[in-house]
Amino acid sequence: MSLRRVLTIIALAAIMVMCFEPSPLRMPFLRRALQTPELAGVPDRQWALYPRFLEGVRAHTRPGDTIAIVFPVMGWDAGYSYAYYRASYFLAGREVLPLADPQDHPLPQNLRDARYVAVFGATLPMPASIVWRGEGGTLLRLQ
Amino acid sequence: MTGIIATLVAILSLIVLGIPITLAIDRHARGPLLLGTSFLYGSGAMSFVMLALSIAHLRWTLIRVTVSALVVFCAASILAVKKPAGAQRPQPLKATIFDAGTVLTLTAYALYATLKSLWDWDFWAIWGLKARVFLEAGGIDWRFLESRWNTFAHPDYPLLVPLTFDFIALVNGGWSDRWLGLPGVAWAAALLLVVRALASRETSPLFASLVTLTLAPLAVSSHLGCAEGALIAFGGAGVLMIRAALRDGDPVLWRHGALMLGFAANCKNEGLALLVAVSIGVAVAGSRPRATARLRRLWPAYALMTPWLLLRLTHMLPTDIASGSPLSRLIARLPQAHEILAFLVMHLHEPWLWLAILTGILIAPAASRRSEGFVLLVTAIQLCFYVAAYFATPHDLHWHVLTSWPRLTSQVAPPVTFAVFLMLAKSLNVGRTLQSNGFRT
Repeated sequence: MSLRRVLTIIALAAIMVMCFEPSPLRMPFLRRALQTPELAGVPDRQWALYPRFLEGVRAHTRPGDTIAIVFPVMGWDAGYSYAYYRASYFLAGREVLPLADPQDHPLPQNLRDARYVAVFGATLPMPASIVWRGEGGTLLRLQ
Repeated sequence: MTGIIATLVAILSLIVLGIPITLAIDRHARGPLLLGTSFLYGSGAMSFVMLALSIAHLRWTLIRVTVSALVVFCAASILAVKKPAGAQRPQPLKATIFDAGTVLTLTAYALYATLKSLWDWDFWAIWGLKARVFLEAGGIDWRFLESRWNTFAHPDYPLLVPLTFDFIALVNGGWSDRWLGLPGVAWAAALLLVVRALASRETSPLFASLVTLTLAPLAVSSHLGCAEGALIAFGGAGVLMIRAALRDGDPVLWRHGALMLGFAANCKNEGLALLVAVSIGVAVAGSRPRATARLRRLWPAYALMTPWLLLRLTHMLPTDIASGSPLSRLIARLPQAHEILAFLVMHLHEPWLWLAILTGILIAPAASRRSEGFVLLVTAIQLCFYVAAYFATPHDLHWHVLTSWPRLTSQVAPPVTFAVFLMLAKSLNVGRTLQSNGFRT
């Protein structure tokens, strides 16, 4: 057997081995593991109540409503981007307005433009009527 | 109707829609090729049906979408029936034990994709978000895409994948992200069926099933609910069809390849880049017919790519890479080129696989390398596009590389792995010469 032939067989075998992905074989076990509380909340592990809060906000608002988001962390990379993106998903059909931009500049004009403010895990020191409270947050209608 | 049944019915409907389209293009398509291309054409055609309804300001309803799809179905059926059948009948493919391994891989992937509601950040911030917003609006919500608050959702990205999710949601009677991993499984399966059929044309059943099994983990995307899976399927199938067309000169393969690449351009911006890379590859590789004639055969791809390009231009949807002055950013980063390239090498996903592929290219006989020049060139050009995008990115370069480089390299891996695998297999002198298995010659 020539050297090239041996090398070819080794290269073919290497490609096959490198492509092989064993992790799917763990799927039946992973299914069981997902029932555990640690994995159940991905991607909301840190803020497990937040999706349920947003479902509540959705239930108490109508399509087309404008909603500003207040979150315990208002730094964009520190967690506000998560809060804003997640709210955009759960509140699809409403217009979700951020109160900070990616450079962490506050956006007070969005608070003025919003019909509602969804306040999660924080309080809002301004006059507003409570529309709904639950799941760690409050939905306020601005006055 | 429960969510999983609705999703499966939707996927089955897309296959049924795709069957006459496949047969209108390729009257002789049978078996794996027919099944694989049918889902690809079905999902691609459905996205265009929904896009057309939205442009016509017709609110999406299940009945309206179904009737529109039936029009496409009937038109394709008439075209398929009118096509002469010809005398040549494709030979059925011979299954081997390794095909069971491919099925096992897809089954495991299906289990993974349906573990729970989709959790990928890009799903709920881009692909799923758009689908959900559009479903609420009953069509493409241009106001959402144009809003400066929604640039995070990449408004310029093409919409084939969100529109597929919307079709499933219409069948389901409402939005649910619980089973939306299943279309990703279907796209992966479709690519593997195409790979199996194409490999059978030029090698033994054993090696055809082995290369399919090898590609199975590359065809499945771990980014569930994102456009990666669809792009890998359409792009991979397109490149491999054009590769076969360049070898055989088969007009049917040219049509398949061009359409697949057109749909790939409707999955992600990388699909647009892939079409450019393939156009360069087609112009450079091959000798018959002339380069201009070869490029003309890609017209279906350009035709499919055009509507979204016009729409995003009309609505002035911003592209993050193109914001500001990309050229000045690129020039400014050139002095750090060696550091950037070293960073890319350091963070290469599956580096041992790429090393094995490179080794395979070096070991293979020069004639084999030349015959696979098209796929090797397209892969190299596409990688160059990705690297250029990093040089021009307005984002932090390290963050951009770390969050996208593995995904980008996984997009180009299947065709080049296929080409190198067959190159090596043939050099062992165990590959068969060209068969007409499942294809017209």
